[in-house]
Amino acid sequence: MQRDVGSLPLSPALRARLLAAGFQTAQELLETGPCGLSKEIGISREEALEALQVVRQECAGDAAKTAGGSGSTRKCTALELLEEEQTQGFIITFCSALDNILGGGVQLTKITEICGAPGVGKTQLCMQLAVDVQIPECFGGVAGEAVFIDTEGSFMVDRAADIATACVRHCQLIAEAHQEEDHLQALETFSLESILSHIYYFRCRDYIELLAQVYLLPDFLSEHSKVRLVVIDGIAFPFRHDFEDLSLRTRLLNGLAQQLIIIANDHKSAVVLTNQMTTRFGQNQSMLVPALGESWGHAATVRLIFHWDNTQRLATLYKSPSQKESTIPYNITPQGFRDVQPPPVTQNAEGTEMNPRKRPRREEEK
Amino acid sequence: MHTAGGWETRLHRVQGIMATKKLRRAKLSQELCERLSRYQITTCQDFLCLSLLELMKVTGESYRNVQKLLRKVSLACAPKMQTAYEMKVRRSINPSAAFLPTSLHSLDKVLHGGIPCGSLTELTSPPGCGKTQFCITMSVLATLPVSMGGLDGAVIYIDTESAFSAERLIEIAGNRFPTYFDSDEKLFCMTRSIHLYRELTCDSVLKRIKSLEEEIISKKIKLIIIDSVASVVRKEFDTKLQGNLAERSNFLARGASLLKYVAEEFSIPVILTNQITTSLSNGLAIPADLVSPAHDLSLSEVTGASGSGKKESACVTAALGNTWSHSVNTRLILQYHDLLTRQIVIAKSPVAPFSTFFYTVEKSGLVLQDGKNLSNLPWEGTNPALQTIQVRNTALGNALLKTTDETPGDTPSP
Repeated sequence: MQRDVGSLPLSPALRARLLAAGFQTAQELLETGPCGLSKEIGISREEALEALQVVRQECAGDAAKTAGGSGSTRKCTALELLEEEQTQGFIITFCSALDNILGGGVQLTKITEICGAPGVGKTQLCMQLAVDVQIPECFGGVAGEAVFIDTEGSFMVDRAADIATACVRHCQLIAEAHQEEDHLQALETFSLESILSHIYYFRCRDYIELLAQVYLLPDFLSEHSKVRLVVIDGIAFPFRHDFEDLSLRTRLLNGLAQQLIIIANDHKSAVVLTNQMTTRFGQNQSMLVPALGESWGHAATVRLIFHWDNTQRLATLYKSPSQKESTIPYNITPQGFRDVQPPPVTQNAEGTEMNPRKRPRREEEK
Repeated sequence: MHTAGGWETRLHRVQGIMATKKLRRAKLSQELCERLSRYQITTCQDFLCLSLLELMKVTGESYRNVQKLLRKVSLACAPKMQTAYEMKVRRSINPSAAFLPTSLHSLDKVLHGGIPCGSLTELTSPPGCGKTQFCITMSVLATLPVSMGGLDGAVIYIDTESAFSAERLIEIAGNRFPTYFDSDEKLFCMTRSIHLYRELTCDSVLKRIKSLEEEIISKKIKLIIIDSVASVVRKEFDTKLQGNLAERSNFLARGASLLKYVAEEFSIPVILTNQITTSLSNGLAIPADLVSPAHDLSLSEVTGASGSGKKESACVTAALGNTWSHSVNTRLILQYHDLLTRQIVIAKSPVAPFSTFFYTVEKSGLVLQDGKNLSNLPWEGTNPALQTIQVRNTALGNALLKTTDETPGDTPSP
């Protein structure tokens, strides 16, 4: 009630007039009433009424916050947070090594960034997550839907279909082994068609379309409340060329990061971004670093870097608030994103062991 | 080569496809548009790049109203939503439209059909390996009727090296599909559908790419080939000069996004060719001297250049840098194996694993050698931007040193 007039979300012209007329607090405005206000400032009665309604809403919102109400308030105790975190869902990646270093999988309400060289498997992981988020709860999933925002055109429907088929097959094997009622029931609705129908795909061809889409995302998520994953495949691509004004770029990226953090929190979704690597020239050498600059590094809560060691793909957890930094190997198979298979015991005994780090070149049995 | 001033005038402000949409068409009121134009805000791009406070200032509206306006303008710019299922259904209605088979059957099988439509495919190789032969073959294939695996359409061939030979085109067509091209009529009909453009500067290449949209519609184009991107870029940009690296990345990124737009909009394949460069282990790339392949592997020259005196390992990889490797969706590498045979390598593909195939170049173009044993492969799949490429000298060296032991089951050396 004692809120300063200058901080009210009214139009600037109106605010200026109120301050010039000498109004200082919101209470004064409410006490004056619409007619008195219109006479004193010289605006129409309708405008005055509109302004007072805005003020009243603001004050009601403030009161709710101070009384500890729920909804828009973001205050809670650490115990409440602990309970929330423990029941928090994780989206598994089907690579148990990666899930382990992430502490269970890709976490909901957090932004995870995947950086890597071209062709290392970032889009593959994104497609895998878009399928895995839909796994029913009885199989250990979060039963959500996915939004896939593609800026590079690397989303391949056929590949996503392969990954989805393998995931359904995996769940079918579990159901056969356990023979439980809810497993079989869940499998009735968990099929290739339903998985693909719940991946909402947006193709953004430049940064303006990307900005526009992110502005519209909260509305979309309110309409599709089951979405638990938002993937932006290629946050770097639209911002990497033709930006002479780097400060504008930084500002737009920061704005995007803020909006994504709010989306992740409000809608209890995981946000996954993929970033490119760029060459930075040092004194005598150059090295590959994540693109978009140093300040972008603050945007994501969890940062994974995918890279190569000769012929083995590795994932390094680079930044995480709760997990240790570590590196694990992974593979991309025809079924999707998977662990590296350990060598079979029999061949070891013979002495001619297969190099376990080689990527299988032949099609595996499906 | 280019001063900063010269390029500034060329690289005018970002022109996205949706961005230049005028605010009038975003259904904002006339008076609001007029008011905004006084602040030089006329397009959706101008509007969306401002912060909320700035927008409140220029529109004079309250916070809540500004958010409503933002949503309105965003609706005008944002892309349409499709579900993955709808995309799959669309593709299955017209399966032949998803790929252009290369007529190299083992390669097509691994690629799930062939060169994908709607994305960029890059072909990299040392000189003389068969890039242009491959491109010419693909041109012929695109003009074939759908029943024979073609796209029944015309081809735009942007040639920057003047390497295209019409006679070779006819030779390949006649030898590869003798039953189809049984008359001169058919051959001439095919050659009429291949539109050749000779572009010799980066600017003209970019202009040509921008004009593609209209040409595709008017001429019913089903395949675009640019042979090669690297030659024209390397002529004009010298990455050792300050600022040139950034300019080059800019040019390449703009070209790539224009080409991606065209490829996706019309669902056609785009094939680009690239050259090779020598990449030192510390990451600095020196453009490979194409006149004398021996220079590629001359370590002494390379260590001399870096000045450190240490022996760094150098390897030959695809040119044009790391960002370009991100921009292409599929990367095929052609390289030398021994005196006669060469290899085609799938180095980057969203649908296919790393694979290699042996081939030779003959009258009918590229011919796969399916019988050859694949386990002699000395190279394994790694970062597509750093995948080493075998040039002529190493191939000759290997051929001379290699034993004739080719038993299956040899595990390749790591």
